[in-house]
Amino acid sequence: MNDAAPLLEPLRARLAEIGEVDVLVGIPSYNNAATIGHVVRAVQAGFAKYFPDQRTLLLNSDGGSSDGTPDVVQNASISDFQTLLAAHPPRAVHRIVTPYHGIPGKGSAVRTVFAAAREAKARACAIVDADLRSITPEWIDLLVSPVLRQDYDFVAPLYHRHKYDGTITNSIVYPLTRALYGRRVRQPIGGEFGFSGRLAEAYLEQPVWESEVARFGIDIWMTTTAITGSFRVCQAFLGAKIHDAKDPGVDLAAMLTQVVGAVFALMETHAGSWRDVSGSIPVPEFGFEYTVGLEPVRVNVERMVGIFASGVQELAEIWERVLDPETMAQVRALAAVSGDAFRFPVGVWVRAVYDFALAHHRRAINREHLLKSLTPLYLGRTASFVLETAGSDANDVEEAIEAVCLEYERMKPYLIERWEV
Amino acid sequence: MDGSFADRLLGALEAFFEGVVRFLPGLLAALLILVLGALVGWAVKAMARRLLGVARFDRFCDSAGFSSILTRADVRAKPSALLASLLFWLVIASFLMAAASALRVDVINQLIAAFFLYLPRLISALGILLVGFLLGNFVSRAALLAAVNANAPSPRAIGLVVKFLIAILSFAMALEQAEIARSIVIAAFIILFGAVMLALALAFGLGGRDVARHALERHFIKGDAGAVGDDLTHV
Repeated sequence: MNDAAPLLEPLRARLAEIGEVDVLVGIPSYNNAATIGHVVRAVQAGFAKYFPDQRTLLLNSDGGSSDGTPDVVQNASISDFQTLLAAHPPRAVHRIVTPYHGIPGKGSAVRTVFAAAREAKARACAIVDADLRSITPEWIDLLVSPVLRQDYDFVAPLYHRHKYDGTITNSIVYPLTRALYGRRVRQPIGGEFGFSGRLAEAYLEQPVWESEVARFGIDIWMTTTAITGSFRVCQAFLGAKIHDAKDPGVDLAAMLTQVVGAVFALMETHAGSWRDVSGSIPVPEFGFEYTVGLEPVRVNVERMVGIFASGVQELAEIWERVLDPETMAQVRALAAVSGDAFRFPVGVWVRAVYDFALAHHRRAINREHLLKSLTPLYLGRTASFVLETAGSDANDVEEAIEAVCLEYERMKPYLIERWEV
Repeated sequence: MDGSFADRLLGALEAFFEGVVRFLPGLLAALLILVLGALVGWAVKAMARRLLGVARFDRFCDSAGFSSILTRADVRAKPSALLASLLFWLVIASFLMAAASALRVDVINQLIAAFFLYLPRLISALGILLVGFLLGNFVSRAALLAAVNANAPSPRAIGLVVKFLIAILSFAMALEQAEIARSIVIAAFIILFGAVMLALALAFGLGGRDVARHALERHFIKGDAGAVGDDLTHV
């Protein structure tokens, strides 16, 4: 058993005092005082409204916030349950605020939630981000009920997002995960998840808690582990996702390196699982889908195309060691066009991503440099996507993303043929 | 007179033969040492090639940029073969020294002692050059990538400047370690490094004043320099 003391002694004592619970919701946090109060109240209301007869526990796993986040969690409460059309819960909602043990990062915070779930023998659990502004009590129902009442093991979120929001998810993480493992989980790095106690136990058993997973990449790791472990996976429609802007200190290249690096690392771990998979199948969906209004998103296409062109000019020496010669020639040709006529065809993009995955696998160059050199290509593809879908509505954009996914699936043999060569 | 001539001739021949008899065992020992050295050298070379092959040394050299430099220099051998050959010649050189020492010639013995005293410094200097080369390549590539991703002007120049500075530093350190013209090297390094930094400061301060102001404004006033004009959250 991989049980290197993920629970601090005060937390263990508090859990022993509370005893077993049915539903546990974890909130990993780090300096989220501005938003976490709303998240805690939404969870509390969700417990009262949808799980009034269950034993519930809210666990805040904090990374050493200095802005008073733990105090906000302790003090946030709903004074009038009637306004939420919910009776005052007959059972007390247990609430624990705890620092976590291990390497600083969301992964370690989530590990504490898993360990607490095991200790409290929770039947169903959920994790929600602390920076959410659009979370409602219904999210708790949608993330927990498929586990508690339908025996699912993993519930991924489904959101309505602006057509230009989540472009790394739409152009790399979703289509690549879908093509590799054959399941159409639309938001594999959504940040909100529901899972069974059985799956929490299985997560804890994995020997990853001293690796990069403990720092970042926990979301894609959870999704991939659930899919490849043959757990019952579904997704639930939560509505719009609005959350605080990410830390501006984290630049795009660093973010891309973390996210894509985690996906590529999982490709290594699960190579035996994805090589025989072709095509993909949908996963069951819960929730009532509706249209939501979304705030407009500003996009500077000219700057993106400029960085792509600069990459073609300056990074050719690196890309030549990564990209297949044919892909490299196609990428060079793309830089000849600028302005609104600029296009980055999906076929070239998919080949480039597969070439990067292969280069990562065979360690063609230092992996951090490799992933950072993907940024100009990604910006080129994103600029092209923005230009292609400038006049499109949400449905058209979803169809365009579906076309990208199908291209990933169609070209998967290209990846498989070269993986062991 | 005759007797004296014969005595002298015999004496000289006797001395010559005595010298040859005294020198011959040393010569034979030296030849034996050389043969042994060749055998050890071949064994070391074969073992090194096998170990480097297992450790995927050629692939490492590809990723570190060594292979491309060799290609540019028209060296067609694989890096693992080159390193194995280098080890072979090091072994041969060591045995050559031992063989020369077996001859028991004073001048040669002194040269050998001096060489072996100097050898650690030479190896350290070569090590510094190697580390400098690897570090220069790594850091300059990181700088190039950061510059391209930040949409900075002249990314290649930034990468080259970083590489050049690290090369100067490591070269000066290697020469200092090898005790080659130590005082001149230190003075030249200080002057050269100072000149480069001053030139960079002037170039950035005068030529790139607007760029610097713009970059600082973007960084400190408007937030993420990489996201001017974008609201994209990407993930």
